Amino acid sequence: MIAAPPASTDPNALLADASTSEPIHYVLRLYVTGTTPRSMRAISNIRKICEQHLEGCYDLEVIDIGQHPALAEGEQIIAAPTLVKKWPLPLRRFIGDMSQTDRILLGLDLLGASSAASSPRP
Amino acid sequence: MRETAELRSAAQAEIAHLSARLQEAEDTLGAIRNGEVDALLVTGATGPQIYALQGQDAETNRFRGEMLAQVSDAVIAVDHEERIIYLNTAAERLYGFAASEALGRRISSIRQAHWLRPEDEAAATFALREHGEWRGENIHLRNDGTTVYVESGITMLRENPTQPAGMLAVIRDVTERKLNEGQVLVSEIRYRRLFETAHDGILLIDPSSQQIIDANPFMTTMLGYSHAELVGRELFEIGLLNDQAASREMMRTLKRTNHVRYDNLPLESQAGRHQEVEVIANLYDENGRQVIQCNIRDISERRRSEEHIRLLIAEVNHRAKNLLAVVQAVAQQTAKHGDPETLAARLSERIDGLAAGQDLLVKNQWQGVEVSELIMAQLAHFQDLIGTRVLLVGPPARLNAAAAQGIGMALHELTTNAVKYGALSNAEGRVRIGWQVMADELPVFSMSWLEEHGPKVAPPVHKGFGQVVIGRMAEAAVQGTAVIAYNESGLAWTITAAAADTLTPTQDAP
Repeated sequence: MIAAPPASTDPNALLADASTSEPIHYVLRLYVTGTTPRSMRAISNIRKICEQHLEGCYDLEVIDIGQHPALAEGEQIIAAPTLVKKWPLPLRRFIGDMSQTDRILLGLDLLGASSAASSPRP
Repeated sequence: MRETAELRSAAQAEIAHLSARLQEAEDTLGAIRNGEVDALLVTGATGPQIYALQGQDAETNRFRGEMLAQVSDAVIAVDHEERIIYLNTAAERLYGFAASEALGRRISSIRQAHWLRPEDEAAATFALREHGEWRGENIHLRNDGTTVYVESGITMLRENPTQPAGMLAVIRDVTERKLNEGQVLVSEIRYRRLFETAHDGILLIDPSSQQIIDANPFMTTMLGYSHAELVGRELFEIGLLNDQAASREMMRTLKRTNHVRYDNLPLESQAGRHQEVEVIANLYDENGRQVIQCNIRDISERRRSEEHIRLLIAEVNHRAKNLLAVVQAVAQQTAKHGDPETLAARLSERIDGLAAGQDLLVKNQWQGVEVSELIMAQLAHFQDLIGTRVLLVGPPARLNAAAAQGIGMALHELTTNAVKYGALSNAEGRVRIGWQVMADELPVFSMSWLEEHGPKVAPPVHKGFGQVVIGRMAEAAVQGTAVIAYNESGLAWTITAAAADTLTPTQDAP
């Protein structure tokens, strides 16, 4: 599997990641509702974004809120589909079918991919 | 001052956090307003509640999803880019991937498909393009390296008649069945080879119709009927049993005892060749259907061998009795003539001479003995004299068993006499042994033993057993005439008999 995020939730830990050449490993969760077309689109869209921008540096888990409502509640999810960026901090949520690629990339801090500090790849 | 700065920094971080949460809340409300969400999760007194915002469609989708989740076959749906948009619990088990890991990935990332035959891939592509569905078998290679044989039904999903939206696959693990099929195939090849190469005739018969349903190649050779001619016939129709009644009787016995055996049945091939056969029939269960297997063995050769052995035993018995009679006569005569003190030695010598001839006959399988071979055997102790003082002159001629026995004993007596009293008892004497076959209307065999340059010879005062052996016994063996002349220059012995009673056709020893 993938490496777990650092135990500390101290935002300062980000500085440690940024100061090294190691790529940042993203931990994402997508909450969907069964097999609705929007859920399917959301899954497909976020996978494409990850494969294009985070190849080998991400862990995406798709969770059906119908199957795991308590998990969704613990994550303070109020609508589906919702993508949660759990790592790197700060935690961010995105609502919808993930078709607004630029907005997602911006939220994931991936639009300035040329920046060495925030790029997941060297 | 420092504490104030820290407080200010913490307050700013909290404000940023709350701003982000506020922005998220606004985004959520905007998304709900714009119809970008499927469901809301609201925490109530009884726990989290899910409210679908797509009404009937969402409920139908949920119902379908729950149905598919319970299907024992793996169900996977992919979009037009072959990204997984749905997989049920059976698919998670089959490929070892949780839905949360696999959803959105390309199907190739959880398994590779291998085709059983190279042409299958093109056929599947064609079927999906032209008919919108394909059903068939192939091999899936899982990410852990293991393979699984699967039977798949794939249906194209379309947003409209011309636009493919993806594919739905229903996949069944048939690995166990395929392995069983492989074992069945190996077994089929192995036992069909036995059936087809067996050197016994084998018939398979349907007990209800009593007709032949299969026959091995050797059966067609035995009977001279083709396979097609045998199938559909009853046993009596191929000459195995006398008539329909016998055939039906055999079937009744088989159904009662499951087994029938005939040790010796006459069987005639289509061409009229007579064979004796042994028939063993058994009633078997073949996966709920009864079938009779008849093994038919041609025992003609075995019968001939048994008869040959029976004759040989009788012949050996006869010859043993003859030999014992000769030994008995030799013993009696040896005891009657000569010094009792030397009886044992003389008897032993004579039996040795008899045994030498017997050995030759056995060596030649009682097919006769060459005259020269018989002489060499009887003069075995004087091999170094042969060619110098013992001269052999005669054509190839093969004595029959009786003649070899009689003449062999005579040669033994003549040799013993020559060594004791005659031409081989001094340093100059010689023996000429000659034989010939005189061609005539009835060919005659004659053999002579002529001694010369030995001590002067005088006729014996008493007639001993040696004279009986070279006289009457030799004559009886060849049904001929023996002449003994006590010439002063040396003993002369000749025997003459019809070649037909003395010789067997000359042949190479086996």
